[in-house]
Amino acid sequence: MHELWITKLFNSNLAGPANTVLNAINFPAADQRNPWSDWMVCEIVVFLFVLVFFAVLRARLSVDRPGKAQHTMEVLYDFVHASSEEVVGHEGPRYLAFFGTIFIFILFLNLIGLIPGFDSPTMYPMVPLGFAVCTFFFYHFTGMREHGLGYIKQFLGPFWWLAALMLPIEIISHFARPLSLTVRLFANMFAGEQVYLTFIALTKIIVPVVFIGLHTFVAFLQAYIFMLLAMVYVGGAVSHEH
Amino acid sequence: MKSKLTLLAVTMMAMASPMFAQGAGNTDPSNYRLAAAYIAMGIASGLCGLGQGRATASAAEAMARNPGAIAAIRVALILGLVLIESLALYTLVITFIAK
Repeated sequence: MHELWITKLFNSNLAGPANTVLNAINFPAADQRNPWSDWMVCEIVVFLFVLVFFAVLRARLSVDRPGKAQHTMEVLYDFVHASSEEVVGHEGPRYLAFFGTIFIFILFLNLIGLIPGFDSPTMYPMVPLGFAVCTFFFYHFTGMREHGLGYIKQFLGPFWWLAALMLPIEIISHFARPLSLTVRLFANMFAGEQVYLTFIALTKIIVPVVFIGLHTFVAFLQAYIFMLLAMVYVGGAVSHEH
Repeated sequence: MKSKLTLLAVTMMAMASPMFAQGAGNTDPSNYRLAAAYIAMGIASGLCGLGQGRATASAAEAMARNPGAIAAIRVALILGLVLIESLALYTLVITFIAK
């Protein structure tokens, strides 16, 4: 698969620092002259864009005369806040930072693939795996913070004599969660790209536009679903028996 | 009617017997992989389509019966559709892996 122009830029200028970092963590790059991969470069581009965008927005926050960007972000914030309250419960908005970051970052990572010359990092299986592993550790961490060591009681089922049966089932289902999160996000973005390429090869002009539109819709939906499932898992972890 | 359909089905299956005349051609497993992948994808998409159809139908009916709960039903509908969709996508991923 050929390199993007921006990956070439990174590889020709920043190959040295990348090799230093990779060798320091004992993970040398497969190709020492091109250590940057497409998805790493695009992820850094999105990260810098989001950072600059929100830094500028923060500097221009105004109560009396909000601009369009502030309005949009307020709608987004209310949406995530209301969703977290509805799904996680009363304590939902405590974890708003995590959910909002997941939503915004995955959304922009999905959408950057639509710009010619960039690739969606979520199209490569490592990136959704990173998100899924972070979510996995986050919801267990919040569960343990909320319940202390009694968090284990959730895995043991309703009766003490069912515990030996429930524990393996619960462990398997909890490990299936990051797997399904990864595969869902990766397969949606990857399949969208493949379908788009197939239709560009088949019918060159009008029909691929429909598939780009579908891919955009799926990008928003998959970002929302990742956030919603993270909320459901956190809700399951911190819930108290009534 | 049922016995006539059974007779028709058995006759059509019997008419396929020339298939046994083909020699022991290349029984190379990688030739079957592609065909198996296509069939698997077809079955997965078909059954997931049925599941999503049922989910959408009951969601639409519930929204019609109870317009006050439309927001909550919409959340449940989207969540259910995406979870069913991901089952078909697992098959798609295996199709690409087993190429």
